[in-house]
Amino acid sequence: MEHFSAPQRQSAIGVVVMFFDTVQQYARALWPILVLWIFRFNQMDKMMLAIGTVAVFIAIGVVAYLKYRNFTFFLDEAQGEFVITEGVLNKTKTTIALYKIQQVNIKQSLLQRLIGVYALDVDTAGSNEKEVSVKAISHEVALALKARLLDNESRKPIGPSEETVETHQAKPFIQISMLSLLKIGLTTNYIRTLGVLLAFFATLYDNVLRFSNQGYLDEDQFTGYIDRALLLQSIGFFLLVLVAVILVINVVRAVVRYFGYTVARQSGSLLLSFGLFSTKSTIIKPEKVQIVSVTRNYFQKKMDILELKIKQATSGEREESKQAVEIPGCNTAERDAVLKLLFGKIPEQGAVLLPNFRKLVFAIVTTIVLPLGIFLGVVALAEENLLKFTWIAPVYAVFAMTLLYFGYRNYRLFIADDFIIKQSGAWDVKREIIEPQKIQAIAVSQLFWHKNADIGYLTLHTAGGAIRFQLGDFTTIKQYVNLWLYEIETSDSNWM
Amino acid sequence: MENFTNETLDVAQLPKFEEVQMTPLHPRYWRVVMLTWGLIFLVVLLAIVFGFLFSPDFRPVAPKLLVVVCASIIPIVALAYTAFRKKAFAFRTHDVLYRYGLLATTTVVIPYNRVQHVALHEGWLSRMFGLATVQVFTAGGSSSDIEIPGIDKTQAENIKQLLMGKIQKEL
Repeated sequence: MEHFSAPQRQSAIGVVVMFFDTVQQYARALWPILVLWIFRFNQMDKMMLAIGTVAVFIAIGVVAYLKYRNFTFFLDEAQGEFVITEGVLNKTKTTIALYKIQQVNIKQSLLQRLIGVYALDVDTAGSNEKEVSVKAISHEVALALKARLLDNESRKPIGPSEETVETHQAKPFIQISMLSLLKIGLTTNYIRTLGVLLAFFATLYDNVLRFSNQGYLDEDQFTGYIDRALLLQSIGFFLLVLVAVILVINVVRAVVRYFGYTVARQSGSLLLSFGLFSTKSTIIKPEKVQIVSVTRNYFQKKMDILELKIKQATSGEREESKQAVEIPGCNTAERDAVLKLLFGKIPEQGAVLLPNFRKLVFAIVTTIVLPLGIFLGVVALAEENLLKFTWIAPVYAVFAMTLLYFGYRNYRLFIADDFIIKQSGAWDVKREIIEPQKIQAIAVSQLFWHKNADIGYLTLHTAGGAIRFQLGDFTTIKQYVNLWLYEIETSDSNWM
Repeated sequence: MENFTNETLDVAQLPKFEEVQMTPLHPRYWRVVMLTWGLIFLVVLLAIVFGFLFSPDFRPVAPKLLVVVCASIIPIVALAYTAFRKKAFAFRTHDVLYRYGLLATTTVVIPYNRVQHVALHEGWLSRMFGLATVQVFTAGGSSSDIEIPGIDKTQAENIKQLLMGKIQKEL
């Protein structure tokens, strides 16, 4: 068995891997220049080009060799650390405590297969990208190193390997009915569907015009038809159709995506399965949950439905787990049941932190005053034919003002002993719930002109994303930060 | 939960992160910053000179551009100096603090029991001045990692040892 106790290099053949890596890296950085050269290929001196190319490849070769020389790794048994040193001009030394390592993956790309070496990636919790990667070692060394890296008892395995799905055993405690899905379809995603529709019709119109330009259709007749059709229809009717189409699309989407949604309890975890054509199953472990958000708008409140979103800690390359898991169309009781299972109790609201009025003022300036100022300025400077559009300005102002006002009024942070809840949103009111123990890092920030007003920003980073609260009372924020730090630092509670 | 207690916390008595005496970056780091900017200026100036010499189209614009570049030196140096002075760090018993920012002053706090791993960077310029950068990683993603530049090489090694020691203790 190898020891790895002294710094060692990769396989000598690894220079080749380094070489192609460096080529790729430079090509990515310099591709605009390369493209330019290709277009000018004919005008260039072929001799110079050949010499230049050779020189560049020699230079890259030297860099690759130096990279190979300077890349070393070793295991510090006494400290329980894996240490990697790399870099030619800028040197980096990365130290990873062995018990923090979550995954070690041995991989082989095509190039690596051709020259018979393996890459070994080391992953710790949290960040999506792999922490370190040893790019060229022999299979024996890779296996031995992997064994040594994972050979410590305190390591708590997480990750997908343990997630065995046994669907048939669990008894669902929430079943989302067809009616709830209909309600969800009727009350969500108006804007998104509108955007998709607009994009769809824009491309369609574009294609039809192109089609007609090729002589299959008489263009005048076609556009004339559209004009007449538009004249015939009142705009109101058109809007009605549009709304109907959006609603139908939303309902179909909700039904196809979430048909037969069941939530079951399975040895302390949540087991979700849903889907009309293909059933998807997901397991949620309460200890891995970082942020739970509950979203509800006015209509949904009247119908007693809401949407739950659960963000979990990410580990390793499981990029898809970064995406939140959605439970659409629960009612209040079901929400409480899910929250109780995830958090052990129903999150209470606690003390309220409100934003300063400047948040509203700032939002008004950036979304109403500035754009309208530019718009009206353009209208004033331009010809009269733009003048008939000035009615847009007051309509937009009233609409935006209403949204901003409600957004401001709903914006608040609830702080209880065990929960922090951020509420935001104008129409869809969203509540993001985190536990102070899940906080990874806290950032407080203050613009220098907010010093006298004593207001500032708070960002709470978790392994499932950050929660940011803007322009709250800074003294209060700092007090809570000290409290949270105290709580995090005096307990060993597991955040995932 | 065996020795669980639940007294009322006197929040006012908790240690205050905002009153911690922060360590500024090493004075030699200012030279690194200046040299970096000096090199950038040098490249820009060389580009202008080359343009002036070899491109007739560019010739009339070159003097104006030169004036703009020269005029921007003082504000850039002033801003760089403010940014340099604002940066400071502190290592408490249980967490690391890093402060930075020009318009907004931001303080990031990472408790040691949330640190995933540590990296020590030595840029080629920094290395000439015996300085290093300490980067602390958490599971909160790149936005919550902190990178403290301009620390004396030996001190940076010590800090790394300290951090790794703290991580190991959390076992």
